[in-house]
Amino acid sequence: MRFSKSLLLFPVPALALYGTFFVLPAVQGLQYSTTDWDGFSPSFHNVGLDNFREVATADDLFRNALGNNLKFLLAVVIGQTVLALFLAVLLAARSRGSTWLRGLFFLPTILSSVSVAFVWRFVYDPNFGLANRLTGLHESYLGDEKKAIFFVAITQIWFHAGQMMIIYLAGINQIPPELYEAARTDGANRWQQFRHITWPLVAPATTLVVAYTTIQSFKAFDLILGLGGNPPRGALDILSTRIYTTFANNQLGYAAAESVVFMLAIAAVTVAQNRATRLAHR
Amino acid sequence: MSNLSRRTLLFAAAGSALAACAGPGGDADEKTVTGFDGPVEGQLSFAHWRAEDKDVLEQIVASFVQKNPKVTVRQDISPSNDYQSTALQKIRGGSVGDAFTAFRGAQFTQIASVGVFADLSTQSDLVGKFDPKLIAAGTSESKQLGLPYQLVFNMPVTNVDLLAKYGYTDLPKDWDGFLGMLDGLKAKDVTPIAWPGGDAANAGQLLNTMVMNNIPSDDALGKFETGEVKATDEWFVHTLKQYAQLRPYVQSGANGTGSEAAQQLFATQKAALLATGSFMAGAVRKLGAKFPLGLYAPITTTADKAKYEGVFNATFILGINAKSSKQGAALAWLKHLADPAVAGVYANGTSQHVTVKDVEYTNEDLKSFAPWLTRKTLLAPRFQFNNLDVRSAVENATVQVVGGTDPAKAAEAAQRVIDQKR
Repeated sequence: MRFSKSLLLFPVPALALYGTFFVLPAVQGLQYSTTDWDGFSPSFHNVGLDNFREVATADDLFRNALGNNLKFLLAVVIGQTVLALFLAVLLAARSRGSTWLRGLFFLPTILSSVSVAFVWRFVYDPNFGLANRLTGLHESYLGDEKKAIFFVAITQIWFHAGQMMIIYLAGINQIPPELYEAARTDGANRWQQFRHITWPLVAPATTLVVAYTTIQSFKAFDLILGLGGNPPRGALDILSTRIYTTFANNQLGYAAAESVVFMLAIAAVTVAQNRATRLAHR
Repeated sequence: MSNLSRRTLLFAAAGSALAACAGPGGDADEKTVTGFDGPVEGQLSFAHWRAEDKDVLEQIVASFVQKNPKVTVRQDISPSNDYQSTALQKIRGGSVGDAFTAFRGAQFTQIASVGVFADLSTQSDLVGKFDPKLIAAGTSESKQLGLPYQLVFNMPVTNVDLLAKYGYTDLPKDWDGFLGMLDGLKAKDVTPIAWPGGDAANAGQLLNTMVMNNIPSDDALGKFETGEVKATDEWFVHTLKQYAQLRPYVQSGANGTGSEAAQQLFATQKAALLATGSFMAGAVRKLGAKFPLGLYAPITTTADKAKYEGVFNATFILGINAKSSKQGAALAWLKHLADPAVAGVYANGTSQHVTVKDVEYTNEDLKSFAPWLTRKTLLAPRFQFNNLDVRSAVENATVQVVGGTDPAKAAEAAQRVIDQKR
């Protein structure tokens, strides 16, 4: 077949958009990260790798945010994946009840994160909140320095588990029913069917859910600001809110350096998780 | 494709890449600036953070438009903390905020430093309508760049009836007396202090009165950033110890309580004091509070050593954008706001005093707070911070202490962050 050079024009719009809105800002971000620009002054200084050195060695607030983010990530990835898979397995059968319940569990996903944060602020309120009323406890929830981030994780799980459930449902519906019939004929109980059929065959869905949940956990910016205020206290500060606070503090160069480290952290965790997921499904 | 068009494409791509990577510091798009003599017409953007004042400001806009039919005013409102963080970026281009407001302190200083405020010094018919003692926060290098509009008292609001019911008509003038009053209220099953420890923006308001006599200087807290004072200094650790003494007297789970819940506790008479400021009077009324409101600042020293009785802040600094193409209309808008009758509508409608002279206050809460206009009050020290991380470190130390952290440890942790961030 004859190759027409004019075909080369077809990717130009996509490449132009990608270049303008992704590549150039990313390159510019890298450039800013080596400066001390405050975000509005006409002048700035190049500081080389000083911003990165400071982020790595002399920034307790960034380290605290990273620690909080990892705790949040662990709680959300484990909690959300387990809950989503549990709900998907329970609701895989097609019946009127399960269709209704799927809709119910998916409902929080369509709400805006600001609305979710607003509602859960009242749930967690120590004096008027639903959480203390239902449990009879006297917890301060978001005011508890050690546990606050886990209470935000519960909100995030409530918010997105229904969405992940749909991905798992799609995965489960792809599994041929004959496999379960054969397993039942061989005397496998429900746990054995799950362990040896469902779990290995939903591996692609699990990879997707874990990767998506990981990225979501790193970017839970609006939920944190809605629940913890702006800027959030140390107990609720995660990497995205830390970067925003640095930006708001007129340290754009330093915020750009934090963003680069943030991007590397997401990449590292995602790669590690992909490997772990593959191992778990062997 | 011809060689020429390929080359053109290549140049265009290279040009846009170079333009994008030209480096920081480029100025925003240039617009035609008309000056104060420009026409009073077009759509004016008024940028501010007071969503709760929107309705009252709409009334004022309506009266302005009636006088100036060729102009409309759009309120561009952001929540206060977002406004603090992002207003400068938004208004420096001139497309938002032909007229705008600024917080006193760090934000005003930043906006002034990049030349976004048009100089109002020559507008004597406008500036002359304000009380000169109260607009100093709007000056920079001897120029009147902005005009503080609101006058608020950043000190606890009291339920006068509830305090009187338990015998507290003359409020204590020293720390021991204050603790005694809190103890007495607690014994009557009243929560002595409703404190929004879970809301960073308002949890820190109490710090104003807690330090006003421990280090009686209006730039004391700003000195954390220069290193002249430290969180581990005796006076600050002493202040944190006093916060620790308040633990039994704030509501249960205070560190997780937001502003709305604290207001609710106060409005429903479960709490006697609301440890925020006079700016919450309107919100408390909207929650149905019918009782008379007062103001009270805890005196943290003995009576003879107390220099100040309370704290005030002149803020909501009105300014005109130097990059605006509608400066004539913006000036007319500011003059309208400075009209004593209009300022009265704003003040009485929002339960906040204003810095405009000759305003008649008809709002009962404003009448009740009026004696504080002439008492010994300190310009709120909390607004001297220029660095958000330093401010958060200091204020978080107070929140953590109320939550149970040892004052000395909280002070050390705060100082470590201050040393890294200042």
